[in-house]
Amino acid sequence: MRAEALKGHLDGLLLAALEDGPRHGYAVKEALRETTEGRIDLPTGTVYPALHRLERAGLIAGSWSVVGGRRRRTYELTATGRSALSRERTGWQEFATAVTAALGTRPWPATS
Amino acid sequence: MAGHELISAQLDILGARLPAQAVDELADGLRESYEHHLSRHRDPEAAARAAIAEFGDAETVTAAFVHASPWRRLALKLLITGPIMAAVWATALLSGQAWAWPVPLPFKILYGLALVGVVGLLATAVMARHAYRRMRRAVTGAALALILLDLLMVTAVLTVSPGSLWPIAVAVPASLLRVLSVARTLPAAMAA
Repeated sequence: MRAEALKGHLDGLLLAALEDGPRHGYAVKEALRETTEGRIDLPTGTVYPALHRLERAGLIAGSWSVVGGRRRRTYELTATGRSALSRERTGWQEFATAVTAALGTRPWPATS
Repeated sequence: MAGHELISAQLDILGARLPAQAVDELADGLRESYEHHLSRHRDPEAAARAAIAEFGDAETVTAAFVHASPWRRLALKLLITGPIMAAVWATALLSGQAWAWPVPLPFKILYGLALVGVVGLLATAVMARHAYRRMRRAVTGAALALILLDLLMVTAVLTVSPGSLWPIAVAVPASLLRVLSVARTLPAAMAA
């Protein structure tokens, strides 16, 4: 999938990847890849600044832990993040319905 | 599990460019990716290359951090509002006949040069693609200098301005609002 197609939707996708529970950056990227059956496979390193931006916006909360001797930052949705995800979903469904209606396959007009 | 020299080299490059906390997080992700590929390939070299390809090279990762940085956002905000502030202050100074105020010429020249320097720093920061630390230093310097310049201008106007004119009554609160806004944003950006 082309990167420009994701513009404006990355935040919603990342929030959705955290809906089932807390995840660290690599797990968020993997969840996104798995749920989209590999269609959305972002460079892992670029997911982190997006997560930091969502954290600054108060949509997710991060916390540090030590796993296998490594410092790990795990993120989870905040209440504000859940509301934002819900709005994102509604907006996307309306948009997708409208675009599908406009672009949907139609039979060729009959010629006489 | 031990890492691989390619992974370490990648992290060294990122470590020289990005904040320590971000590098800790990236190191965890990159090693997680390496371990994932090692369990599939069994060849450390191939696993390290696959992990780096999946992760994005140092240029791509740094560019993503620079683009999403709160520092870049602050620089953009100041550059976009700059012309409005300049117009507000130009109107205030012209209506107050600022050329007749008892302010020494060298001070006026220095003030103008400092303002140009601030704009230059902000423009450099906005155009930066990979130099995260340099961008951060540039925006911090520019933001602090702008606070100082705003406060100097407000003090000078309140001290030497002959009377209360409406353009000055607009310009002074506008500058104070900018000072407050930058002062509020800086600590949050410092924590990023």
